[in-house]
Amino acid sequence: MRPEVLKELERIVGAKGLIARPEQLATYECDGLTNFRESPGAVVLPESAAEVQAVVQLCARHKIPFVSRGAGTRLSGGALPVQGCLLIGLSRMNRILEVDTANQRVTVEPGVINTHVTQRVAAAGYFFAPDPSSQPVCTLGGNVAENSGGAHCLKYGFTSTHVLGVEVVLPTGELVHLGGAGEDAPGYDLLGVVVGSEGTLGVVTKIILRITKRPETVQTVLAAFDSTTAAAQAVSDIIAAGMLPAAIEMMDRVSIEAVEAAVHANYPLCDGLLLVELDGPRAEVDALMTGVKKICKDNGAWEIRLAQSDEERALLWKGRKAAFAAMGRVAHNYIVQDGVIPRTALPKMLKAMERMSRETGLRIANVFHAGDGNLHPMVLYDENNVGEESRALELSYDILRLCVDSGGSITGEHGVGREKQQVMGYMFSEPDLDTMQRVRCAFDPELISNPDKVFPRPRLCAEKTGKWEPHPLEVAGKAEIF
Amino acid sequence: MAAKLITKLQKIVGEKYLQHVGEQLHVSPATTDEVSAILRAANDAGAVVMPTGGGTKLGWGNPVAAQVVLHTSRMKKVLEHTWQDLTVCMQAGCTWDGMQQTLARHGQMVALDPMWPELATIGGIAATNDSGALRLRYGSLRDLVLGMTIVLADGTIARSGGKVVKNVAGYDMHKLMTGAHGTLGIITEVNFRLHPLEKHAEQWSVLGDVAALGSAMLKVLDSTMQVSAMQIVSSGMGQPARLDVRFAGHPDCLADQRERLRAIVGGLEMEINGDTVWKSREKLFSRAAQRDALVIKAVMLPTQIASITAMLGSGNCESQSVTQARGLMTAALYGNAETLARLVRELRSELAYSGGSVVVLRMPQAMQGSIDAWGEVGTSLPLMRRVKYELDSASILNRGRMAGGI
Repeated sequence: MRPEVLKELERIVGAKGLIARPEQLATYECDGLTNFRESPGAVVLPESAAEVQAVVQLCARHKIPFVSRGAGTRLSGGALPVQGCLLIGLSRMNRILEVDTANQRVTVEPGVINTHVTQRVAAAGYFFAPDPSSQPVCTLGGNVAENSGGAHCLKYGFTSTHVLGVEVVLPTGELVHLGGAGEDAPGYDLLGVVVGSEGTLGVVTKIILRITKRPETVQTVLAAFDSTTAAAQAVSDIIAAGMLPAAIEMMDRVSIEAVEAAVHANYPLCDGLLLVELDGPRAEVDALMTGVKKICKDNGAWEIRLAQSDEERALLWKGRKAAFAAMGRVAHNYIVQDGVIPRTALPKMLKAMERMSRETGLRIANVFHAGDGNLHPMVLYDENNVGEESRALELSYDILRLCVDSGGSITGEHGVGREKQQVMGYMFSEPDLDTMQRVRCAFDPELISNPDKVFPRPRLCAEKTGKWEPHPLEVAGKAEIF
Repeated sequence: MAAKLITKLQKIVGEKYLQHVGEQLHVSPATTDEVSAILRAANDAGAVVMPTGGGTKLGWGNPVAAQVVLHTSRMKKVLEHTWQDLTVCMQAGCTWDGMQQTLARHGQMVALDPMWPELATIGGIAATNDSGALRLRYGSLRDLVLGMTIVLADGTIARSGGKVVKNVAGYDMHKLMTGAHGTLGIITEVNFRLHPLEKHAEQWSVLGDVAALGSAMLKVLDSTMQVSAMQIVSSGMGQPARLDVRFAGHPDCLADQRERLRAIVGGLEMEINGDTVWKSREKLFSRAAQRDALVIKAVMLPTQIASITAMLGSGNCESQSVTQARGLMTAALYGNAETLARLVRELRSELAYSGGSVVVLRMPQAMQGSIDAWGEVGTSLPLMRRVKYELDSASILNRGRMAGGI
C-alpha cells in the first residue's frame, strides 16, 4: 500500500487502528477456509461508523479494493483478502447499543459476537435465533454478510428473518439506512439483498435485530439407526406427519467416530444417528415427542434416548457442533461442503456419495441438517499424498454439482465466497448472474467491495445491454421469434 | 400507439390475446418467454407497461399512465408441488385461493393470509408484499418465497433462489422483487416453502378499551403461548375494540392455551369467534370504497399500537383500524381532505421517529395530489434510483408507481 494512503488511513483510525507490518498482516491472510491465503495491503480496525465511512471514501477515491471481516470464521473464503486490498476489521465495533425487549428488538454494532446477544437478553426470557456452529466466536456483521443459518433455522429461519434494519457504508462512501425498527419500510427491500451478499455491497455498521421468546420447554431425543437411509426415512415421516421440529440433525458412522474421539458426546456407534429437538409449550412438546419416538421406532431405531437434563442436552449438541473440528481425529485434512438437496433426494444422494467415495478412494464423512436437506459432506484426504488435495477438491465440487442436478443448491449457509465461485456458473445461467451483478453495479460501480467473490466473472458496470435488434431471418420473414 | 408495436405484440400472443381498450393495449401472454418478447418489444418502443393479475391493488402507490397492460391471467399452472419436501413452484397468475386449494389436498399451505385471496394473484401479492395476521407466526413473503423467475424490462429472463428451503447462493433477487410494485421486473414464477395446515385451532376475541387490549396483546407477545395470529380491531368513536387471537396446536393442548390466554387478559370479556375475523381488513376496504375514504398502512412498534389506535379514534375524523401484532396497521379515515392530509403528516412525523412509516393504499378523489402516497424514503432513495436504472433504464415498468416517483 502506498505510503501516502497509509498516512491518510492513520489520520482516520489512529496509529493503534492501522496494521501494516508484514508479520502482523499474516493474521488476516485467510478466514476459516485455510487452504486459500493472500496477504492484505493493510488492515484498519475502525471504532465507529464515521471511521468506516472515511476509510471507504478513501478507498473509493483511490479505487482501492477493500474486504471487510469480523471474526474470520467464514468457511468459503468470503473474508479472504484480494492482493493489495485494504482489510477492514470490525471487531472493535462490538457494542450492544440498545435493548428493547418489549418490542423484541436489539440494536448492535457489527463486531458483536452472536451469543452475546442471547446472553444479554436471556434474563428477560429471549434469545437470538440464528445459531451457526461458530456462534461463540462469530460476529453479527459476518452473520449478516452470509445470511447465516444453523441447526435451528429449520423452525426459526435464517439471519434475514431476524434482521429488521441495517446501516451500511456503500462502496461509494455514502452512508444509508435500509429497513429499520418498523417492518415494510417504503421503497425497495434492499435490506433483503444486502443480507447474504457476502460483503460485496458495502460495510454494515449497525444492525437492528429481532429477538425471539424462549420456548417454555425444549426436548432433544437421540435415535440410532442401522443406515442413513433408515434415518432419512424417519425424517421424511416426521415432516409428513405435519411436525416442524426446532432441529433435525443426522450424522454417519465416520462423523460419530470422530466426535466420540474428540468430545465424548456418548453417542451410540451406528450408521445413522438422528438428533431431533422439539420446543414450544410443554403439553404440545410432550404430545409431539411421543409421535417422534414412535416414528423412529417404526423405522428401526434400536436406541432412542431422550436427554434427561439440560446438561445431557448440551452434551448431545456439543457433539454435533464439534463435528467439523473433530475430523482432525480421523484424517489429516478435510474439505467441508455445504450442498442442499430437496429432502426426498436424500437416499439417492447418499448412494451416489458412497459410489463416488468408492471410485475415488477418498472417504466422505457426513453431517446434515436433515430437516432442510442441508448436507455437510466432508471429504477426507492427506495433503502429504501428492495430488490428493486437488482430487478431494474436485470430488467436493462434483458433490455440489449433483446437488444442483437434484434440484438443490451449492450452498445452504456457508456462502459462495472464493471457494464456490466457479460452481455458481453451474447453478445459475449467465442472465441470472448478470441480473444480480446489475444490482451490484448500483451499489458498487467501481467493483471495489470484496471483489472477485461470489460471481464466476465480474461484469463491468458500464456494460449496457444493447437495444434489441431483430434477427435478420425474422426481418426477412423466414422465421418467427418467440 | 406505434403500429409496429401492435404488430409485434400480435405476433407474440396472437390476435385473440391482444385487445385495444381505449388508448391501451391489453396483452395476455401464456409463458415466461412470451412475457420476455413483449417486454423487449415495449422497451424498444419506449412504451410503459403495467403488469396486472387480479387487479385488486392497482390503486396502491402512485398512479401509472401505461400504454400496455400485461395480464398474467393465462399463467396459472401449478408447476411442481413436491409435498414431501414442503415446496411448491407456481406460475404467478394463479389466484391465491387457487393455489391454496391445491395445497390443501395434501394438508399444506403457504402460511400467508393476504387480502382478497379469491381474486388476487400470486404475482400481485408478491409485488405489493401483502400479508395478513398469520405473519406473526410465519413471517411475511420474504420468509416464505424461496425463489422466483422474473423478466426484466429488456426481456432478460432471470431466476434467483431455488426450490429448497435453505439456500444462500447469489443475491436474493426475489426479496428485491417482493414489494417492488412491478417496477423492477415482472414476476412469472414463484417458489414457496410450505407449512402444514393448522388443523386444530381456536380463535378468541377479547373485548375492552384499546389501552387494556394493547397491554394484553403485549403480554401475549411476551408469553410462551404459541399464537399464530393476533390483531386489534377498532371502529373508533367510543365503540368497543376487539383483540383477536388465534392459537393452533395439538388437539389435546388447545385447552391449555385457552387457559393461559384467559389468565393473561384477566377480567376482560372473551368470546369464541370464527375465521371471518381475519377478513376485517377486507371489510374495512369495502366500507372505505363506498364512502371514498382514505386508507393507510401505518407501521409502528408493537408498544405504540394502543396509543396510535386511541389517537386515531379520538381525533376529529371518523376512523376504523385493524392492526396486526407486529405493528402493521390498516386504517380507514373519513373526513375532509385538509384534515386528513394534516393527520397523515402528523402521523408520519410521529412514526418516523421510531422507525415506522405511513403509506397511502387508497387515496380519495378529493385528496389526489395533496400528499405523497409513500412519504419520506430516507437516505437510501438515491440507491433505489440506481437499482431501478440498472434493471430498467428506460423506466418502462410501472413508471412512477414506486416510492420517490421511481
